[in-house]
Amino acid sequence: MQASRREFLRHAGALSLLRAAGPLGLQLAGIGAAAAATQPDDYRAIVCLFMYGANDGHNTVISLDSEAYKTYAAARSVIALPREALLALPTEQASRTPALSLHPELGPLQSLYQRGSAAILANVGPLVVPIKDAATFKGTNIARPPKLFSHNDQQAIWQAFSPEGAKIGWGGRIADLLAAQNGKHLFTAISAAGNAVFLASDRTIQYQISNSGAIGFNRTNAGNIYGSAKGAEALRAQIAAAQGDLFGQEYATVVNRSIEAHGLVSAALARLPETDPRVALPPELAQDKLAQQLRIVARMIGVRDDENIQQRRQIFFVSLNGFDTHDHQLDKQGELLRSVAQSIAYFQDAMAELGVADKVTVFTASDFGRALLSNGDGSDHGWGSHHFIVGGAVKGGRVYGQFPDIALNTATDVGNGRLLPTTAVDQYAATLARWMGVPERDLPLVLPNIGNFATSDLGFMQA
Amino acid sequence: MPLQRPGLYCAFFLLAACSSTPEHPVDSWAYPAQPHALKRPFISPGPNYQTPSLVEASRFLQQASFGPTQAEIDALSRSNYKAWLKTQFATPQTLFLPEVEPEHAKLAKGQNLRQELFFRLFWKNAATAPDQLRQRVAFALSEIFVVSFEGQLDVKIRGMASYYDMLGRNAFGDFRTLIEEVSRHPMMGVYLSHLKNQKEDPARGRVPDENYAREVMQLFTIGLHELNPDGTPRLRNSQPIETYSNEDITGLAKVFTGFSYGGPGDTDAHFNNQGREPRWDILPMKGYPKFHSASEKKFLGVTIPPQTPANPEGDLKIALDRLFNHPNVGPFFGKQLIQRLVTSNPSPAYVERVARAFNDNGAGVRGDMQAVIRAVLLDPEARQPPPDASGKLREPILRLSQWLRAFNATSISGEFRIPNTDNPGFSLGQSPLRASSVFNFYRPGFMPPGTGIARQNMVAPEMQIVSESAVAGYANFMQTAIEAGVGRVEAGKRDVQPDYSAQMAIADKPAQLVEQLDLLLTGQRLSAASRTRINEAVASIALPANNPQAAENARRNRVKLATLLIMVSPEYLVQK
Repeated sequence: MQASRREFLRHAGALSLLRAAGPLGLQLAGIGAAAAATQPDDYRAIVCLFMYGANDGHNTVISLDSEAYKTYAAARSVIALPREALLALPTEQASRTPALSLHPELGPLQSLYQRGSAAILANVGPLVVPIKDAATFKGTNIARPPKLFSHNDQQAIWQAFSPEGAKIGWGGRIADLLAAQNGKHLFTAISAAGNAVFLASDRTIQYQISNSGAIGFNRTNAGNIYGSAKGAEALRAQIAAAQGDLFGQEYATVVNRSIEAHGLVSAALARLPETDPRVALPPELAQDKLAQQLRIVARMIGVRDDENIQQRRQIFFVSLNGFDTHDHQLDKQGELLRSVAQSIAYFQDAMAELGVADKVTVFTASDFGRALLSNGDGSDHGWGSHHFIVGGAVKGGRVYGQFPDIALNTATDVGNGRLLPTTAVDQYAATLARWMGVPERDLPLVLPNIGNFATSDLGFMQA
Repeated sequence: MPLQRPGLYCAFFLLAACSSTPEHPVDSWAYPAQPHALKRPFISPGPNYQTPSLVEASRFLQQASFGPTQAEIDALSRSNYKAWLKTQFATPQTLFLPEVEPEHAKLAKGQNLRQELFFRLFWKNAATAPDQLRQRVAFALSEIFVVSFEGQLDVKIRGMASYYDMLGRNAFGDFRTLIEEVSRHPMMGVYLSHLKNQKEDPARGRVPDENYAREVMQLFTIGLHELNPDGTPRLRNSQPIETYSNEDITGLAKVFTGFSYGGPGDTDAHFNNQGREPRWDILPMKGYPKFHSASEKKFLGVTIPPQTPANPEGDLKIALDRLFNHPNVGPFFGKQLIQRLVTSNPSPAYVERVARAFNDNGAGVRGDMQAVIRAVLLDPEARQPPPDASGKLREPILRLSQWLRAFNATSISGEFRIPNTDNPGFSLGQSPLRASSVFNFYRPGFMPPGTGIARQNMVAPEMQIVSESAVAGYANFMQTAIEAGVGRVEAGKRDVQPDYSAQMAIADKPAQLVEQLDLLLTGQRLSAASRTRINEAVASIALPANNPQAAENARRNRVKLATLLIMVSPEYLVQK
């Protein structure tokens, strides 16, 4: 019954999407532009910050409860963070959550949390249905995501609810539903970190922008190449020549999109250059790969009302590699989390400077969490983990979901302290999708399994 | 084919058969070992195909080398594929390590070599090494058995040169040795963290590192799903069957404990401290029984009983034998080698033919790499692809290598001083041995979303690194390369320079020039429309009648323009 209802919704949704994709496209674009002109403040964007390699949640948010810290320290041995170095978070009144703290390198996130602009979502991960406890997971064949603990597959499942080979991500689906509000559909879904299945769909094409903006084809518009004006003309024709086979056509499609995007974006971005104080990177982040991605995101947001851009709903993707800390975890993770926290803080400042602090929400994601038990100087693949949601529209300074007991052989331990998630990625996504303006009835189009979970609103976003 | 699931009996048999002495002397890697005395079938010297035409020769060399040269095309068109393969199999390996060692020896304490030294050797060998097939297959293997400078190996230049040589050495050897040397190489040991991995310690709450145990199965040997011999997944209740569970990983992880620095010496300090052995980065890792798990190890149907003393070398042999003999390896590895050399979407029948060659080289030997390479390259689907074959997108590294070879590029310094080519906006978006993770630059199963390729359920791995920025970055990079050469600039000149003289000699006739470049670069795949457009553009560059110097410049510009226009064409970018 549930399944057939989903099928129906999917089918109905596919039809309505199809209609929007047809010859109506231009008209819709026109409507979006007109609406944007009358409500210039109506803008919302989410930014997915993906920590590739699987960030170790156990060393990201740490319980200060003395019993919990003791079991934590015992299980982690040499990769346990010293208690005195942890950054304590303010304790909530009337909360069942124990006193928590952050990794020592997350100072900027601690400040955002204290100011109420950052929230923590505890023990979230992919699920198909809620699983009561570890015994149910081990002892029954209850539905579960395929290929747990495998990097590439769990990356795809976090982003697209399907293992490697997934074609439609939930960011892409949200974009499908909201693109009609934008002047140029092309800029609805933007990745500053290369191809990401998060932003993929059969309708929305992710625009992959470089850290420095759009890259144009040299000498295709005017002038000579190798002394020939005709050569420049031929170059323009040849790069986009769609003749030939399937692969060649698809490559040419990217070329044509590149040319179109460059034409639209470069003039707009010139009005908000990298050196503009509102978006300039502080010197210590000038070479930071993540901060550089967030800078181009900030610039694109800053020029959203440009006549060639015209965006009201956008979804961005940025990422950082290297979180697979099987060894040298203390050094490696510290360095990476420093980059994450400082880059997010930079971005929040930029959003405030651009006057959109309450219109843009950053959220973190990663392949999976890691096992609590140490393997010497690192940790192995796990499942559930803790994540951050940051922005002016976040009901921050709080922990959402259930912070797990930190010990071995608990109800949420599926082995060596790998956490059975108590909140599903679907719920995390639904809360964000809702904030972006996806209507309740359309949530199953984005998140087919959302009906399997108790709530589709975890409450961490303001209305 | 029935699944091989050795049970307990088989495990005991394997255990009894294994020896406790290392298969390799600990110092065998500094320079290559003798070629393996592998039992191989007699390959009749006569041509199995007609002598290839020029076009066929060009196509073959695009798959089997870093790019055709006109001389190679001419030579092959007077010979045949089998003879070419035979010669290549017998050509001595061009090595990286001997070029790195002298530079390494010059280093003062605390100093490191730069990655660019590796890149220079890579481009030099791609452009000029006579053992083209071996170098090309080594590059393909480096995209399957991935280690990367990105991360902890960033200054391990000598070790990475040794790793690359190891891939090249085993390219024509046997897969069992390849997977062992990959597993034992200290660069892999660092990259996937099984170097210094210690046995479990329940008292202190420590478990073995599972990283290598997982990836050696998922990526290097058997993959996630049980496969039919043709590479399609076996189904049970219409669902794929997973090859291993997390318990298999936990069991196998124990096997990969107790391996650490090679060289003489067995003390705890030798296990723990790389300072004890200055050549640790190029010596195979060896087993240290004290740090190796002695408890029961269960994986993939094998049970190794508890042991005293702990036997790392014996356990490694059991594990790698088990993986090597898994029926998945032929189709799993064979299909990826096809994808790297020939086409992204081989038919199941093609995969099966290659898998059969993996399973038996014709003389009853499993894992003979020469047999696999021969099967990949000589398959009818590789030689006469059906009209709707997808081919493969040329990856950026292979585009530049092909250009270097097509124009017999030379280096002013002799060193091919080409730096990192990572930046997709301004360079190639790809440097050798710099994938972002063990999952390579791109995945073999990548389907570009929202494209006709995905709608047809085809894969296009190399499309994963195609982006709106990268397509422009590449075209601009080639524009400059064709104009001024590539590499570092000294005295106003780029270090690596093409030689356009052969093309300039025919540049008075645009159609002839374009035809020759079409043969050399695409194997004559330009569409009629492209050819016409390029001919006209080339002809528009006038050759001044009374000014020989200006006419020579114009000829050069004709060659440059024709080359650029071909190398940005979709027909060139897709290798078929």
